[in-house]
Amino acid sequence: MAFLMGDWPSYDPQNFSQIRPSDPSAQPSKLTPATYHPTHNRTVPPPNQVITTEARNILLRQIYQKAEDKLRPKRAATDLLTPEHGCKQPRGAFSNDP
Amino acid sequence: MLQVNSVRQFYENFVPSCTIYDIDCPDNSFRKFTDDGKYLISFSRNHQELIVYRPTWLSFSYKGEDCDSDALSQRAKRFDSFFIHLYTVSLATSNEFICKDVFLYLEGLEFGIFATSTAQTHEVPATEGAVNGVQCVEKIVFHLVRLEDGFVLDEKVFCNDFVNLTHSMGVFLHEDLLCIMSLRYQAIHIVQIRDSGNLVDVRIVGTFCREDDELFIGSHIQVTEGQIFLSGIKQRLLSYIFRKHWSEETDQTLRIQHLKKKFYFHFQDYIDLIMWKVQFLDRHHLLIKFGSVDGVVSRTTDQHPSFFAVYNMETTEIISFFQNSTEELYYLYEQFCDHFTASSRSSLHANFISSHSNNIYAFDQLCVVKNRASSFLQFVKKMVTSLPYTCQSQSPSPYFDLSLFRYDEKIESYYPLITILLWMKNYCLWIAALQQI
Repeated sequence: MAFLMGDWPSYDPQNFSQIRPSDPSAQPSKLTPATYHPTHNRTVPPPNQVITTEARNILLRQIYQKAEDKLRPKRAATDLLTPEHGCKQPRGAFSNDP
Repeated sequence: MLQVNSVRQFYENFVPSCTIYDIDCPDNSFRKFTDDGKYLISFSRNHQELIVYRPTWLSFSYKGEDCDSDALSQRAKRFDSFFIHLYTVSLATSNEFICKDVFLYLEGLEFGIFATSTAQTHEVPATEGAVNGVQCVEKIVFHLVRLEDGFVLDEKVFCNDFVNLTHSMGVFLHEDLLCIMSLRYQAIHIVQIRDSGNLVDVRIVGTFCREDDELFIGSHIQVTEGQIFLSGIKQRLLSYIFRKHWSEETDQTLRIQHLKKKFYFHFQDYIDLIMWKVQFLDRHHLLIKFGSVDGVVSRTTDQHPSFFAVYNMETTEIISFFQNSTEELYYLYEQFCDHFTASSRSSLHANFISSHSNNIYAFDQLCVVKNRASSFLQFVKKMVTSLPYTCQSQSPSPYFDLSLFRYDEKIESYYPLITILLWMKNYCLWIAALQQI
Protein backbone atom coordinates (compact mmCIF):
# COMPACT_ATOMS: atom_id res chain seq x y z
CA MET A 1 0.00 0.00 0.00
CA ALA A 2 2.98 2.24 -0.02
CA PHE A 3 1.86 4.07 -3.10
CA LEU A 4 -1.40 5.20 -1.44
CA MET A 5 -0.92 5.07 2.32
CA GLY A 6 2.69 6.05 2.43
CA ASP A 7 4.36 5.55 5.79
CA TRP A 8 1.25 6.01 7.88
CA PRO A 9 1.45 4.02 11.12
CA SER A 10 -0.67 0.96 11.44
CA TYR A 11 -1.36 -1.58 14.17
CA ASP A 12 -0.51 -4.34 11.86
CA PRO A 13 1.72 -3.83 8.84
CA GLN A 14 0.04 -6.81 7.18
CA ASN A 15 -3.25 -4.93 6.96
CA PHE A 16 -4.16 -4.04 3.43
CA SER A 17 -1.23 -6.10 2.13
CA GLN A 18 -3.51 -8.11 -0.13
CA ILE A 19 -4.96 -5.16 -1.94
CA ARG A 20 -3.77 -4.62 -5.44
CA PRO A 21 -4.80 -1.56 -7.37
CA SER A 22 -7.15 -2.53 -10.16
CA ASP A 23 -5.17 -0.66 -12.76
CA PRO A 24 -1.47 -0.44 -11.87
CA SER A 25 -0.84 2.29 -14.35
CA ALA A 26 -3.56 4.63 -13.11
CA GLN A 27 -2.12 7.10 -10.64
CA PRO A 28 -4.78 8.59 -8.35
CA SER A 29 -3.61 12.09 -8.97
CA LYS A 30 -4.22 11.74 -12.66
CA LEU A 31 -7.75 10.47 -12.32
CA THR A 32 -10.28 13.15 -12.92
CA PRO A 33 -13.73 12.49 -11.47
CA ALA A 34 -16.58 12.32 -13.94
CA THR A 35 -18.53 15.57 -14.08
CA TYR A 36 -22.26 15.62 -14.57
CA HIS A 37 -23.48 17.81 -17.39
CA PRO A 38 -27.22 18.26 -17.46
CA THR A 39 -28.89 17.33 -20.72
CA HIS A 40 -31.91 19.58 -20.16
CA ASN A 41 -32.71 22.87 -18.50
CA ARG A 42 -35.88 21.88 -16.66
CA THR A 43 -34.23 22.07 -13.27
CA VAL A 44 -32.33 25.32 -13.67
CA PRO A 45 -32.98 27.56 -10.64
CA PRO A 46 -34.71 30.88 -11.27
CA PRO A 47 -32.14 33.61 -12.01
CA ASN A 48 -33.08 35.73 -9.00
CA GLN A 49 -33.23 32.90 -6.51
CA VAL A 50 -31.65 33.60 -3.14
CA ILE A 51 -31.35 30.83 -0.58
CA THR A 52 -31.37 31.98 3.04
CA THR A 53 -32.09 30.47 6.42
CA GLU A 54 -35.71 30.72 7.49
CA ALA A 55 -35.82 33.51 10.02
CA ARG A 56 -38.54 31.98 12.13
CA ASN A 57 -37.53 28.89 14.05
CA ILE A 58 -39.27 25.58 13.60
CA LEU A 59 -41.20 25.78 16.85
CA LEU A 60 -42.84 29.05 15.88
CA ARG A 61 -43.48 27.80 12.36
CA GLN A 62 -45.33 24.82 13.84
CA ILE A 63 -47.33 27.07 16.16
CA TYR A 64 -48.33 29.35 13.30
CA GLN A 65 -49.12 26.39 11.07
CA LYS A 66 -51.43 24.85 13.66
CA ALA A 67 -53.09 28.19 14.27
CA GLU A 68 -53.76 28.58 10.53
CA ASP A 69 -55.04 25.02 10.27
CA LYS A 70 -57.56 25.70 13.00
CA LEU A 71 -58.88 28.74 11.22
CA ARG A 72 -58.73 27.52 7.62
CA PRO A 73 -61.82 25.29 7.29
CA LYS A 74 -63.92 27.97 8.94
CA ARG A 75 -62.60 30.83 6.90
CA ALA A 76 -66.05 31.68 5.56
CA ALA A 77 -67.32 32.24 9.05
CA THR A 78 -64.51 34.44 10.25
CA ASP A 79 -64.82 36.67 7.23
CA LEU A 80 -68.22 37.76 8.47
CA LEU A 81 -66.94 38.52 11.92
CA THR A 82 -64.78 41.58 11.70
CA PRO A 83 -64.65 44.48 9.32
CA GLU A 84 -61.47 45.44 7.55
CA HIS A 85 -58.49 45.54 9.79
CA GLY A 86 -57.48 49.12 9.71
CA CYS A 87 -56.60 51.93 11.99
CA LYS A 88 -58.31 52.07 15.31
CA GLN A 89 -61.75 53.60 14.96
CA PRO A 90 -62.55 56.06 17.71
CA ARG A 91 -66.00 55.47 19.10
CA GLY A 92 -68.41 57.88 20.68
CA ALA A 93 -69.18 58.03 24.39
CA PHE A 94 -68.36 54.80 26.12
CA SER A 95 -71.45 52.71 26.87
CA ASN A 96 -72.53 52.43 30.47
CA ASP A 97 -73.48 48.76 30.23
CA PRO A 98 -71.30 46.57 32.44
CA MET B 1 -32.06 11.99 16.83
CA LEU B 2 -29.14 14.05 15.73
CA GLN B 3 -26.08 13.92 17.95
CA VAL B 4 -24.67 17.37 17.54
CA ASN B 5 -22.14 17.17 20.31
CA SER B 6 -20.04 14.16 19.31
CA VAL B 7 -16.91 16.30 19.22
CA ARG B 8 -17.02 16.36 23.01
CA GLN B 9 -16.30 12.64 23.27
CA PHE B 10 -12.83 13.66 24.30
CA TYR B 11 -14.28 14.24 27.77
CA GLU B 12 -14.87 10.52 28.17
CA ASN B 13 -11.13 10.35 28.71
CA PHE B 14 -10.96 13.26 31.09
CA VAL B 15 -13.03 12.62 34.18
CA PRO B 16 -12.87 13.39 37.89
CA SER B 17 -10.92 10.78 39.75
CA CYS B 18 -9.80 12.33 42.99
CA THR B 19 -11.27 14.38 45.80
CA ILE B 20 -9.45 16.59 48.25
CA TYR B 21 -11.29 17.54 51.40
CA ASP B 22 -10.89 20.18 54.03
CA ILE B 23 -9.63 22.97 51.86
CA ASP B 24 -9.62 26.38 53.39
CA CYS B 25 -11.73 28.49 51.14
CA PRO B 26 -13.23 31.91 51.64
CA ASP B 27 -16.50 31.95 53.48
CA ASN B 28 -18.52 33.05 50.48
CA SER B 29 -21.73 31.84 49.01
CA PHE B 30 -20.52 30.37 45.71
CA ARG B 31 -23.01 30.68 42.91
CA LYS B 32 -21.81 29.61 39.50
CA PHE B 33 -19.08 29.41 36.92
CA THR B 34 -19.83 31.33 33.74
CA ASP B 35 -20.32 28.94 30.83
CA ASP B 36 -17.16 30.15 29.11
CA GLY B 37 -15.15 29.32 32.24
CA LYS B 38 -13.80 32.84 32.67
CA TYR B 39 -15.39 33.79 35.99
CA LEU B 40 -16.50 32.21 39.25
CA ILE B 41 -19.37 34.20 40.73
CA SER B 42 -19.90 34.30 44.47
CA PHE B 43 -21.55 36.52 47.03
CA SER B 44 -20.52 37.56 50.51
CA ARG B 45 -22.19 35.79 53.40
CA ASN B 46 -24.22 38.85 54.23
CA HIS B 47 -25.48 38.91 50.61
CA GLN B 48 -24.40 42.44 49.99
CA GLU B 49 -21.25 42.05 47.97
CA LEU B 50 -20.41 40.42 44.68
CA ILE B 51 -17.05 38.62 44.73
CA VAL B 52 -15.65 37.42 41.44
CA TYR B 53 -12.71 35.11 40.84
CA ARG B 54 -10.81 34.15 37.74
CA PRO B 55 -10.41 30.35 37.58
CA THR B 56 -6.85 29.49 36.60
CA TRP B 57 -7.88 25.96 35.73
CA LEU B 58 -5.44 23.09 35.46
CA SER B 59 -1.91 23.82 36.52
CA PHE B 60 -0.59 20.48 37.68
CA SER B 61 0.42 17.42 35.75
CA TYR B 62 1.56 14.02 36.90
CA LYS B 63 3.20 11.30 34.91
CA GLY B 64 2.35 7.85 36.09
CA GLU B 65 -0.38 5.29 36.44
CA ASP B 66 -2.24 6.23 39.59
CA CYS B 67 -2.47 9.73 40.79
CA ASP B 68 -3.74 9.96 44.32
CA SER B 69 -4.04 12.91 46.59
CA ASP B 70 -0.68 12.28 48.26
CA ALA B 71 1.10 12.80 45.01
CA LEU B 72 -0.49 16.18 44.51
CA SER B 73 1.67 18.97 45.74
CA GLN B 74 0.67 21.06 48.71
CA ARG B 75 -0.27 23.81 46.32
CA ALA B 76 -3.17 21.69 45.10
CA LYS B 77 -4.73 21.97 48.52
CA ARG B 78 -5.04 25.71 48.40
CA PHE B 79 -8.02 27.63 47.10
CA ASP B 80 -5.91 30.41 45.67
CA SER B 81 -3.94 27.95 43.55
CA PHE B 82 -6.98 27.72 41.35
CA PHE B 83 -8.73 31.03 41.71
CA ILE B 84 -7.52 34.58 41.47
CA HIS B 85 -9.64 37.08 43.30
CA LEU B 86 -10.54 39.79 40.80
CA TYR B 87 -12.66 42.20 42.83
CA THR B 88 -15.32 42.62 45.45
CA VAL B 89 -18.13 45.01 44.61
CA SER B 90 -20.88 46.16 46.89
CA LEU B 91 -24.24 45.84 45.14
CA ALA B 92 -26.64 46.09 48.05
CA THR B 93 -26.96 48.90 50.56
CA SER B 94 -27.83 48.44 54.24
CA ASN B 95 -31.41 47.21 54.02
CA GLU B 96 -31.04 45.40 50.71
CA PHE B 97 -29.62 42.00 49.93
CA ILE B 98 -28.46 40.29 46.77
CA CYS B 99 -30.87 37.65 45.45
CA LYS B 100 -28.42 34.88 44.95
CA ASP B 101 -30.70 32.98 42.58
CA VAL B 102 -30.41 35.72 39.99
CA PHE B 103 -27.39 35.64 37.74
CA LEU B 104 -27.62 35.92 33.99
CA TYR B 105 -24.55 36.05 31.78
CA LEU B 106 -24.08 37.75 28.44
CA GLU B 107 -21.27 35.73 27.01
CA GLY B 108 -20.00 37.91 24.19
CA LEU B 109 -19.87 41.12 26.20
CA GLU B 110 -18.95 39.46 29.53
CA PHE B 111 -21.73 41.29 31.34
CA GLY B 112 -23.57 39.86 34.31
CA ILE B 113 -27.07 40.65 35.52
CA PHE B 114 -27.72 40.54 39.23
CA ALA B 115 -30.63 41.58 41.42
CA THR B 116 -30.88 43.16 44.84
CA SER B 117 -34.02 43.48 46.86
CA THR B 118 -35.31 44.90 50.10
CA ALA B 119 -37.30 42.64 52.37
CA GLN B 120 -40.84 41.77 51.44
CA THR B 121 -43.48 44.18 52.71
CA HIS B 122 -46.13 42.41 54.74
CA GLU B 123 -48.72 45.12 54.91
CA VAL B 124 -49.55 45.60 51.29
CA PRO B 125 -51.73 48.59 50.57
CA ALA B 126 -54.16 48.19 47.70
CA THR B 127 -52.79 50.38 44.96
CA GLU B 128 -54.45 51.37 41.73
CA GLY B 129 -53.22 49.17 38.96
CA ALA B 130 -51.75 46.57 41.29
CA VAL B 131 -53.15 43.09 41.63
CA ASN B 132 -54.56 42.34 45.07
CA GLY B 133 -53.09 39.26 46.63
CA VAL B 134 -49.61 39.57 45.12
CA GLN B 135 -46.72 40.33 47.44
CA CYS B 136 -44.96 43.64 47.41
CA VAL B 137 -41.30 44.54 47.74
CA GLU B 138 -40.26 48.11 48.38
CA LYS B 139 -37.34 48.12 45.98
CA ILE B 140 -35.92 45.61 43.51
CA VAL B 141 -32.90 46.65 41.49
CA PHE B 142 -31.38 44.83 38.53
CA HIS B 143 -27.68 45.58 38.12
CA LEU B 144 -25.72 45.22 34.90
CA VAL B 145 -22.10 44.55 35.82
CA ARG B 146 -19.05 44.36 33.56
CA LEU B 147 -17.47 41.21 34.92
CA GLU B 148 -14.00 42.03 33.70
CA ASP B 149 -13.54 44.69 36.35
CA GLY B 150 -16.74 44.77 38.39
CA PHE B 151 -17.91 48.13 37.12
CA VAL B 152 -21.67 48.56 37.54
CA LEU B 153 -22.77 49.76 34.11
CA ASP B 154 -26.46 50.38 34.65
CA GLU B 155 -29.43 49.63 36.87
CA LYS B 156 -33.15 49.16 36.52
CA VAL B 157 -35.28 49.84 39.57
CA PHE B 158 -38.73 48.53 40.44
CA CYS B 159 -40.45 50.20 43.38
CA ASN B 160 -43.36 48.70 45.33
CA ASP B 161 -43.54 45.88 42.88
CA PHE B 162 -42.95 42.17 42.86
CA VAL B 163 -40.76 40.15 40.53
CA ASN B 164 -40.37 36.47 41.28
CA LEU B 165 -36.64 36.18 41.77
CA THR B 166 -36.64 32.62 43.11
CA HIS B 167 -34.61 30.55 40.65
CA SER B 168 -34.58 33.62 38.38
CA MET B 169 -38.10 32.76 37.30
CA GLY B 170 -39.17 36.33 36.77
CA VAL B 171 -36.47 37.22 34.24
CA PHE B 172 -35.45 35.80 30.88
CA LEU B 173 -32.49 36.71 28.73
CA HIS B 174 -32.44 36.11 24.97
CA GLU B 175 -29.40 37.48 23.14
CA ASP B 176 -29.41 41.14 24.15
CA LEU B 177 -33.05 41.31 25.27
CA LEU B 178 -34.14 40.92 28.83
CA CYS B 179 -37.75 40.49 29.88
CA ILE B 180 -38.81 41.08 33.46
CA MET B 181 -42.21 39.95 34.71
CA SER B 182 -43.70 42.47 37.07
CA LEU B 183 -46.33 40.38 38.81
CA ARG B 184 -47.83 43.14 40.91
CA TYR B 185 -48.52 45.48 38.01
CA GLN B 186 -49.00 42.71 35.47
CA ALA B 187 -46.48 44.15 33.06
CA ILE B 188 -43.74 42.53 31.00
CA HIS B 189 -40.80 44.89 30.75
CA ILE B 190 -38.66 44.33 27.66
CA VAL B 191 -35.22 45.83 28.10
CA GLN B 192 -32.35 45.85 25.64
CA ILE B 193 -28.74 45.58 26.81
CA ARG B 194 -26.60 47.68 24.54
CA ASP B 195 -22.94 46.99 23.88
CA SER B 196 -22.15 50.24 25.66
CA GLY B 197 -23.62 48.78 28.84
CA ASN B 198 -26.85 50.72 28.89
CA LEU B 199 -30.19 49.18 29.76
CA VAL B 200 -32.73 50.61 27.35
CA ASP B 201 -36.48 50.17 27.79
CA VAL B 202 -37.93 48.76 24.60
CA ARG B 203 -41.56 48.23 25.50
CA ILE B 204 -43.92 47.23 28.28
CA VAL B 205 -46.58 44.63 27.52
CA GLY B 206 -49.49 44.65 29.89
CA THR B 207 -51.85 47.55 30.29
CA PHE B 208 -50.99 48.60 26.77
CA CYS B 209 -49.67 46.59 23.86
CA ARG B 210 -48.58 49.10 21.25
CA GLU B 211 -46.38 52.07 22.09
CA ASP B 212 -49.08 54.56 21.16
CA ASP B 213 -52.03 52.85 22.86
CA GLU B 214 -51.81 54.99 25.95
CA LEU B 215 -51.68 58.19 23.93
CA PHE B 216 -54.57 57.10 21.72
CA ILE B 217 -56.83 56.15 24.60
CA GLY B 218 -55.99 59.27 26.53
CA SER B 219 -56.78 61.57 23.64
CA HIS B 220 -59.91 59.88 22.33
CA ILE B 221 -61.78 58.40 25.21
CA GLN B 222 -63.11 60.06 28.32
CA VAL B 223 -62.68 57.54 31.09
CA THR B 224 -65.07 58.49 33.84
CA GLU B 225 -65.07 57.32 37.43
CA GLY B 226 -65.54 53.61 37.94
CA GLN B 227 -64.99 52.61 34.37
CA ILE B 228 -61.89 50.58 33.95
CA PHE B 229 -60.64 49.11 30.75
CA LEU B 230 -59.28 45.63 30.83
CA SER B 231 -55.58 45.65 30.16
CA GLY B 232 -54.35 45.49 26.59
CA ILE B 233 -52.98 41.98 26.92
CA LYS B 234 -56.24 40.80 28.44
CA GLN B 235 -58.20 42.40 25.59
CA ARG B 236 -56.02 40.55 23.10
CA LEU B 237 -56.50 37.30 24.95
CA LEU B 238 -60.27 37.57 25.21
CA SER B 239 -60.53 38.53 21.53
CA TYR B 240 -58.47 35.53 20.55
CA ILE B 241 -60.53 33.12 22.64
CA PHE B 242 -63.77 34.59 21.30
CA ARG B 243 -62.68 34.36 17.67
CA LYS B 244 -61.40 30.85 18.14
CA HIS B 245 -64.69 29.61 19.55
CA TRP B 246 -66.63 31.63 16.97
CA SER B 247 -64.80 29.93 14.15
CA GLU B 248 -65.27 26.47 15.61
CA GLU B 249 -69.01 26.46 14.85
CA THR B 250 -70.29 27.37 11.39
CA ASP B 251 -73.99 27.00 12.12
CA GLN B 252 -75.34 30.41 13.18
CA THR B 253 -77.86 29.11 15.71
CA LEU B 254 -75.51 26.65 17.31
CA ARG B 255 -72.76 29.21 17.41
CA ILE B 256 -74.37 31.26 20.15
CA GLN B 257 -74.82 28.18 22.32
CA HIS B 258 -71.24 27.20 21.65
CA LEU B 259 -69.98 30.64 22.64
CA LYS B 260 -72.11 30.67 25.77
CA LYS B 261 -70.68 27.38 26.88
CA LYS B 262 -67.10 27.93 25.89
CA PHE B 263 -66.58 31.62 26.29
CA TYR B 264 -69.23 33.49 28.27
CA PHE B 265 -69.56 30.84 30.94
CA HIS B 266 -65.84 31.20 31.67
CA PHE B 267 -65.67 34.92 31.02
CA GLN B 268 -64.99 35.91 34.61
CA ASP B 269 -62.37 33.19 34.97
CA TYR B 270 -60.56 34.55 31.95
CA ILE B 271 -60.77 38.08 33.31
CA ASP B 272 -59.32 36.90 36.62
CA LEU B 273 -56.29 35.30 35.00
CA ILE B 274 -52.99 36.98 35.65
CA MET B 275 -49.62 36.58 33.96
CA TRP B 276 -47.34 34.34 36.02
CA LYS B 277 -44.22 33.82 33.99
CA VAL B 278 -42.84 34.74 30.61
CA GLN B 279 -40.07 33.77 28.23
CA PHE B 280 -38.88 34.74 24.78
CA LEU B 281 -39.41 32.24 21.98
CA ASP B 282 -37.50 34.54 19.68
CA ARG B 283 -36.91 38.28 19.49
CA HIS B 284 -40.54 38.97 18.62
CA HIS B 285 -42.52 36.25 20.36
CA LEU B 286 -43.26 35.65 24.00
CA LEU B 287 -44.62 32.56 25.71
CA ILE B 288 -46.73 33.79 28.61
CA LYS B 289 -48.08 31.58 31.36
CA PHE B 290 -51.39 32.67 32.88
CA GLY B 291 -52.97 31.47 36.07
CA SER B 292 -55.01 32.54 39.03
CA VAL B 293 -53.79 34.97 41.67
CA ASP B 294 -53.75 32.19 44.28
CA GLY B 295 -51.38 30.11 42.24
CA VAL B 296 -48.71 32.78 41.79
CA VAL B 297 -46.27 31.56 44.37
CA SER B 298 -47.84 28.24 45.12
CA ARG B 299 -45.68 25.22 44.48
CA THR B 300 -48.50 22.85 43.75
CA THR B 301 -49.85 23.53 40.31
CA ASP B 302 -52.43 20.76 40.23
CA GLN B 303 -55.20 22.69 41.90
CA HIS B 304 -54.65 25.70 39.74
CA PRO B 305 -55.23 25.31 36.03
CA SER B 306 -52.81 27.36 34.00
CA PHE B 307 -52.78 28.58 30.44
CA PHE B 308 -50.13 29.41 27.91
CA ALA B 309 -50.29 32.05 25.23
CA VAL B 310 -47.89 32.72 22.37
CA TYR B 311 -47.82 36.46 21.81
CA ASN B 312 -46.26 38.37 18.91
CA MET B 313 -44.91 41.65 20.27
CA GLU B 314 -44.70 43.29 16.84
CA THR B 315 -48.22 42.59 15.66
CA THR B 316 -49.55 42.48 19.26
CA GLU B 317 -51.51 39.37 18.38
CA ILE B 318 -52.02 36.22 20.36
CA ILE B 319 -51.08 33.36 18.04
CA SER B 320 -52.02 30.41 20.23
CA PHE B 321 -53.62 29.71 23.56
CA PHE B 322 -53.40 26.40 25.38
CA GLN B 323 -54.52 25.07 28.70
CA ASN B 324 -51.81 23.25 30.63
CA SER B 325 -53.61 19.95 30.05
CA THR B 326 -53.49 20.32 26.27
CA GLU B 327 -51.69 17.52 24.50
CA GLU B 328 -50.81 19.81 21.62
CA LEU B 329 -48.57 21.91 23.83
CA TYR B 330 -46.96 18.82 25.29
CA TYR B 331 -46.14 17.44 21.82
CA LEU B 332 -44.56 20.74 20.84
CA TYR B 333 -42.46 20.51 23.98
CA GLU B 334 -41.55 16.90 23.30
CA GLN B 335 -40.47 17.51 19.72
CA PHE B 336 -38.97 20.98 19.94
CA CYS B 337 -37.71 21.21 23.51
CA ASP B 338 -34.48 22.90 22.40
CA HIS B 339 -36.38 25.80 20.89
CA PHE B 340 -38.02 26.55 24.20
CA THR B 341 -34.62 27.32 25.64
CA ALA B 342 -34.39 30.13 23.10
CA SER B 343 -30.63 30.04 23.15
CA SER B 344 -28.80 32.43 20.94
CA ARG B 345 -27.42 30.95 17.72
CA SER B 346 -24.12 32.59 18.46
CA SER B 347 -23.65 30.82 21.78
CA LEU B 348 -21.68 27.62 21.31
CA HIS B 349 -22.27 26.32 24.80
CA ALA B 350 -26.00 26.75 25.05
CA ASN B 351 -26.58 24.69 21.91
CA PHE B 352 -25.02 21.60 23.45
CA ILE B 353 -27.41 21.02 26.32
CA SER B 354 -28.83 17.49 26.25
CA SER B 355 -32.57 17.30 26.02
CA HIS B 356 -35.11 14.73 24.97
CA SER B 357 -35.32 16.45 21.59
CA ASN B 358 -31.65 16.03 20.72
CA ASN B 359 -30.56 12.98 22.66
CA ILE B 360 -31.83 9.43 22.35
CA TYR B 361 -31.06 8.54 25.96
CA ALA B 362 -32.94 11.54 27.29
CA PHE B 363 -35.85 10.67 25.01
CA ASP B 364 -35.74 7.11 26.30
CA GLN B 365 -35.94 8.35 29.89
CA LEU B 366 -38.88 10.52 28.93
CA CYS B 367 -40.66 7.53 27.37
CA VAL B 368 -40.11 5.50 30.51
CA VAL B 369 -41.74 8.21 32.60
CA LYS B 370 -44.55 8.57 30.06
CA ASN B 371 -45.32 4.85 30.02
CA ARG B 372 -45.16 4.62 33.76
CA ALA B 373 -47.60 7.47 34.31
CA SER B 374 -51.00 6.35 35.48
CA SER B 375 -52.74 9.14 33.63
CA PHE B 376 -51.54 10.76 30.43
CA LEU B 377 -53.31 13.95 31.44
CA GLN B 378 -51.35 14.16 34.69
CA PHE B 379 -48.17 13.39 32.80
CA VAL B 380 -48.86 16.21 30.34
CA LYS B 381 -49.57 18.67 33.13
CA LYS B 382 -46.39 17.67 34.93
CA MET B 383 -44.20 18.01 31.85
CA VAL B 384 -45.64 21.35 30.97
CA THR B 385 -44.77 22.82 34.38
CA SER B 386 -41.26 23.23 32.97
CA LEU B 387 -42.65 25.95 30.74
CA PRO B 388 -41.94 28.76 30.37
CA TYR B 389 -38.33 27.72 30.51
CA THR B 390 -36.06 29.30 33.15
CA CYS B 391 -33.13 30.58 31.17
CA GLN B 392 -29.53 29.58 31.88
CA SER B 393 -30.80 27.00 34.37
CA GLN B 394 -29.05 24.06 32.75
CA SER B 395 -25.34 23.50 32.52
CA PRO B 396 -23.80 22.93 29.08
CA SER B 397 -20.96 20.97 30.68
CA PRO B 398 -19.84 17.87 28.77
CA TYR B 399 -20.20 15.97 32.03
CA PHE B 400 -23.93 16.51 31.84
CA ASP B 401 -24.04 15.42 28.23
CA LEU B 402 -26.26 12.37 28.13
CA SER B 403 -24.54 10.94 25.06
CA LEU B 404 -21.34 10.67 27.12
CA PHE B 405 -22.36 10.08 30.71
CA ARG B 406 -25.27 8.88 32.74
CA TYR B 407 -26.02 10.57 36.05
CA ASP B 408 -28.70 11.32 38.55
CA GLU B 409 -30.52 14.36 37.19
CA LYS B 410 -30.93 15.88 40.60
CA ILE B 411 -27.18 16.44 40.73
CA GLU B 412 -27.41 19.01 37.98
CA SER B 413 -29.73 21.19 39.97
CA TYR B 414 -27.94 20.88 43.28
CA TYR B 415 -24.44 21.43 41.97
CA PRO B 416 -24.43 24.01 39.26
CA LEU B 417 -20.67 24.38 39.26
CA ILE B 418 -19.34 22.34 36.46
CA THR B 419 -15.76 21.48 37.19
CA ILE B 420 -14.95 22.46 40.73
CA LEU B 421 -17.75 21.73 43.15
CA LEU B 422 -17.63 23.56 46.40
CA TRP B 423 -19.52 22.58 49.49
CA MET B 424 -20.67 24.90 52.16
CA LYS B 425 -18.29 24.17 54.98
CA ASN B 426 -14.80 24.60 53.63
CA TYR B 427 -14.68 21.33 51.79
CA CYS B 428 -13.39 21.44 48.31
CA LEU B 429 -14.11 18.77 45.78
CA TRP B 430 -11.31 18.93 43.31
CA ILE B 431 -11.04 17.14 40.08
CA ALA B 432 -7.65 15.59 40.01
CA ALA B 433 -4.98 16.52 37.61
CA LEU B 434 -4.29 14.66 34.46
CA GLN B 435 -3.61 11.01 34.42
CA GLN B 436 -1.26 10.00 31.70
CA ILE B 437 -3.49 8.20 29.28
